[in-house]
Amino acid sequence: MSKRQLAMVFDLNKCLGCQTCTIACKRLWTREEGMDYMWWATVNTMPGRGTPRDWEQSGGGFRDGEAQPGKLPSRKDFGEAWQFNHDEVFFGGKGESAHLKVVGEEPDWGPNWDEDQGAGEYPNAYYFYLPRICNHCTHPACLEACPRKAIVKREEDGIVLIDEDRCRGYRFCMEACPYKKIYFNHVKKVSQKCIFCFPRVEQGVAPACARQCPGRVRFVGYLDDQNGPIWKLVEKWKVAIPLHPEFGTEPNVYYVPPIAPPRFDADGNVDETKPRIPDEYLVSLFGPKVLDSLQILKAEMEKTRAGQKSELLDTLIAYEWKTMFGGLDRDPATIEWKKG
Amino acid sequence: MLASFVRGAPVEWLLDPGADPWNKARGEKLVLAATPLALQPTALVRNAWASRSYGAVGAVQVSALHNGEVLAFRLQWSDPSENRDPEDNSAFPDAAAVAFPVTPGAPLVTMGAPGAPINAWYWRADSDTQGRQVVAEGIGSSRTPDLSLVHTHGIWKGGDWSVVIARALRVEGAEPFVQLTPGAVTEYAVAVWEGSNGERGGIKSFSVGWRALELAPLA
Repeated sequence: MSKRQLAMVFDLNKCLGCQTCTIACKRLWTREEGMDYMWWATVNTMPGRGTPRDWEQSGGGFRDGEAQPGKLPSRKDFGEAWQFNHDEVFFGGKGESAHLKVVGEEPDWGPNWDEDQGAGEYPNAYYFYLPRICNHCTHPACLEACPRKAIVKREEDGIVLIDEDRCRGYRFCMEACPYKKIYFNHVKKVSQKCIFCFPRVEQGVAPACARQCPGRVRFVGYLDDQNGPIWKLVEKWKVAIPLHPEFGTEPNVYYVPPIAPPRFDADGNVDETKPRIPDEYLVSLFGPKVLDSLQILKAEMEKTRAGQKSELLDTLIAYEWKTMFGGLDRDPATIEWKKG
Repeated sequence: MLASFVRGAPVEWLLDPGADPWNKARGEKLVLAATPLALQPTALVRNAWASRSYGAVGAVQVSALHNGEVLAFRLQWSDPSENRDPEDNSAFPDAAAVAFPVTPGAPLVTMGAPGAPINAWYWRADSDTQGRQVVAEGIGSSRTPDLSLVHTHGIWKGGDWSVVIARALRVEGAEPFVQLTPGAVTEYAVAVWEGSNGERGGIKSFSVGWRALELAPLA
């Protein structure tokens, strides 16, 4: 176990699925050759099949402490990087007649293919957005699977990194990761994944996905920093919980679960007796602790309705943007960045 | 096996598996077996392959030539599928390697041991001419200190691979690379990875034990 652990908390009640995090990460990290199909940060609609397709059913992780075999998702499962007829539309003089379209084979899947479909029937349909990055697990299945010891977990902050000089592209890590957050670069022939923006973190700057988030969804900090938001949300208030804890890797990304609006009954009246997002579904994602988490959130909301103050809700609202980053609040524009 | 001496043979000949001198080389057929599952270095690899068969290539025809400066091996085996560039995440390239004990008695089955390194010359079909030298001192310890000294080339035709792996007899450097001398006897071993079966890393077939290799004198 590392001496300290950086972590994130994603408040699912605030995520609006705008994909700004996704693009912030893409612009910063996955523009080089072989990376076109990579999205280290993703946001998918839940219930949904996710990215890569059906990743929740693809094995890996640990059961009773034992490493479980897993699938290698195909490039198509992740979603190919489509090529568009940009030249024709923008530079071919046909701007008014040609429409933007995918060139080549008509795609039947992509990294956000089932966006906003969700589940349930009108008027009780429901969905929420689930942002995901590498979980920088305390018990990383990828690291333990690699026969070349090409994956390290940093002592000082628990960030999990792939050493591309040691990696030989065997992809055992990809099989082992139950969250399927590792991509294979077919040009460089190495595996690649989210690096928790460690070059930024080392300069006191929060990861790009968190800093760019317009919804103030993503909290950052050390798990043991009692002045930071992570400790408050995870340890003190116990409202932020990991995704699929049963995978056994002890993720360090935590989620504040979604509270859906109430249901309508057959007569069109508000029905508070049953939640719109079925409890069983949330339990299937976050384990039984999600019910405790929801109860705590609801109780604190009641408190504020009664005019009382709530440290928890104040933290989640994040009145002061900079307090979301556990001290990693330096402005990246004040740093001269050099490509190493 | 005798590595015949071919006076004045240019390296380009040696690197051409179809070149004339190879037809005269006396080789041997090695029976290969899957590496032991229990010795795979990680639990994921052991568990993932516990019920999967590997070591798909069961035999390889080996011959060797040297020109006094460079030693070349030609490995030939039957393989219905040519796996070069892995186009998808579940596809892997075919590969082969020749290994030597750097310290006499270095164990092959464990990829050497601490203080008893082995040195492998490695070819992989997705980077056909980019040979590698691998050094290992035990399971899971292999590293690649050199990308320039091993020369490789493979040709797949009609269901057969013919792969040449060559290196100078003597090379510089502080790494435990094997140093070879004409007229001397050493040992070698072979490993083959069948890409279409997902074989990579320790999941491969190998010659189980070291084989004698005599480098013909410069006569």
